[in-house]
Amino acid sequence: MEHHIEEVKVYKSFVFEGNAREYFRIWMVNIALTILTLGIYSAWAKVRTNRYFYANTYLNGSNFEYNADPIRILIGRLIVVGVYALFIIFFQYLFMFEVAGFIAVVGVLAMPWLIRQAVSFKLRNTSYRNVPFRYSGKIGSFYTFFILHALLNIFTLMLAFPYSYVKFKELIINNAHYGQADFNFKGKAGDVYAIYIQIFIWTTLLIFAVFMVLGLLGAGVNIIFSEEIGALNASLQSIPQEVDPELIGSIVSVFLLFLYILFIFWQKGFVDGYFSNFVRNKTALETAPLKGELKPLTLGWIGASNIFAIVFSLGLLYPWTKVRYLKYTLEHTSFACQNYDQFESYGYEKGSTVGEEMVDFFDMDIGL
Amino acid sequence: MLINAVLYDGQTSKEHEVTIDFTFGRRVKIASCNIDVALEDVVIESRLGNTPRVMEFPNGVRCKSRENDKIDQLLHDFGLRKSKTHKIESSLVLTLGSVLLTVGFIWFLLTGGANYSANFLASILPQSTLNEVSRITISQLEEHYLKPSKLSQGQKEVIQAHFDSITKGEKQYYKLHFRSSPEMGANAFALPSGDIFLTDQLVALSRDKEFRDILGVLAHEKGHVVEKHSLRMAIKTGVAGVVIGYMTGDISVIATTIPTILVNSSYSRAFEHEADEHAVKELQKVGVSTKYVAHLFEVLSKAHEKSDSNSSFMKMTASHPLTSERIAYFYSYAH
Repeated sequence: MEHHIEEVKVYKSFVFEGNAREYFRIWMVNIALTILTLGIYSAWAKVRTNRYFYANTYLNGSNFEYNADPIRILIGRLIVVGVYALFIIFFQYLFMFEVAGFIAVVGVLAMPWLIRQAVSFKLRNTSYRNVPFRYSGKIGSFYTFFILHALLNIFTLMLAFPYSYVKFKELIINNAHYGQADFNFKGKAGDVYAIYIQIFIWTTLLIFAVFMVLGLLGAGVNIIFSEEIGALNASLQSIPQEVDPELIGSIVSVFLLFLYILFIFWQKGFVDGYFSNFVRNKTALETAPLKGELKPLTLGWIGASNIFAIVFSLGLLYPWTKVRYLKYTLEHTSFACQNYDQFESYGYEKGSTVGEEMVDFFDMDIGL
Repeated sequence: MLINAVLYDGQTSKEHEVTIDFTFGRRVKIASCNIDVALEDVVIESRLGNTPRVMEFPNGVRCKSRENDKIDQLLHDFGLRKSKTHKIESSLVLTLGSVLLTVGFIWFLLTGGANYSANFLASILPQSTLNEVSRITISQLEEHYLKPSKLSQGQKEVIQAHFDSITKGEKQYYKLHFRSSPEMGANAFALPSGDIFLTDQLVALSRDKEFRDILGVLAHEKGHVVEKHSLRMAIKTGVAGVVIGYMTGDISVIATTIPTILVNSSYSRAFEHEADEHAVKELQKVGVSTKYVAHLFEVLSKAHEKSDSNSSFMKMTASHPLTSERIAYFYSYAH
């Protein structure tokens, strides 16, 4: 009888060693220097921030490196801001809609190319053990992808989105390499549909629960304090000029807005958890698989409580929230590799930064 | 000086434990890998927290060491240039200074800075641009909310004469438009171009035959134009959006909704007060008591209370909060 020898996969999780105290200082000094240099320093600030996060990310005892050149980032940034400023000037101030329209059309036409550049930028500027990642996707494939899938989603009213999502991940991951080794992605559209159903069920349950609690609270307050409220109302009516009747309405609406914001950030983390797990579980470097062990509910909680902390600290806790989110996501991601010494390098490359800065400026999420 | 490090040759991901020897002859030697190069050929990256220090050697070789303090000492001993950034980051005073600078800067942007930049923008923005923006707004309003006025010619003439008395001889262009608007109700508003709109519904609430209360409202609206309130509002909203966006790292929902709410609620009161001050001055100049407009505001605020449950549009456009303080303010100048 023949035994199939199963390779034993030993998963090692990523480790994040950054801490909020250290990052707070880097963040604060970055902002101060950016203000003092009228924005010029922002390119160096970006490199320093990324260097800090990459260098504190360890796998199997070795850390990652971020190698982008701040001068190139500055040039990319100036080009993007310049083009955007031109657009705004022509569109909003000079009312030369033909020129503004021309800039917009060129911008949209360049988009697939710029997104490819951004992907390539992120990968080639990341290295691990002095072996850089790289990207080999073709510009043509990006144009084909965006044209085909834009049409597909228009005609199917976005129902084909999960399929497009998987195809986009294939375009990105199947063309990504670590040195000479290739990444591969084996996700199926069916998995994504299943994720959406789960997200839909959980979100509905949550909204339902929140309204139940609010309703009960409201009813409770009414029963317990009905007399006091009656008295309060009477006193309100006796001095109508002094008390703004809109006050109570605005308190309620601020509260609802706050709940809405918490919900948005909870959902962002929650959705992020599902998709990160999915992508990680279907991705491998040659035969060495990645694994995502994030708990979507926990990540949702982290996202919601983070925004709470940011708002009530007037932004000062931002570094703490950033470190907290990264630490959780990285330490719940693992990788099973037999031999970390085996990867051969392809060398470092340089290229344009415009795509990266465009993605950065417009806060686009290309999911890397 | 000896530094413990790991070496990556740049060909493979293999890791080598090495000891780097920085000699007094300004040579850098790694015996186990046969490396012997000049100190000037090694690039030592700036320190970043306590992350492993990267040292770049010729031919793509990189070393990383956790002995940050020793390396700082070494840079000092060899008189090599050291990046100042880590020094700033590790100094408590300078970090606190950065916090103060940032908070001060944001505060400045939201208060004085917005005024300066609004004035600056207003001075470089040609009036034709403001007019164009106003024209677009007007055509939107005309299309959806405004109908021709049903006031009599006599009423119009009296109000127009009041309007001329406070705008005549001004360099700025001013024009009064009479309109009827059941949707907006009793209202008056000014656009940066100097176009001021008055609704029949507001005139209907007037309790003065000579419309001296309406004159007060017009003087108030003129104040908005003089102080360039709409431009300042737009700039403040923009600045608040950028600040919040940067802080939360999110330019989406938050950055677009919160600043608008913040700015509208907290600043509009300040702007209304400025316009009220302006109105008082104008009324004093033409010798009309402020009691008429104070009285109109009282009537208006009562009408507002009644209507506010059924008209959501009123609430949305209630940028003129008629507080008792404002009414008292006008009464305090009446004699």
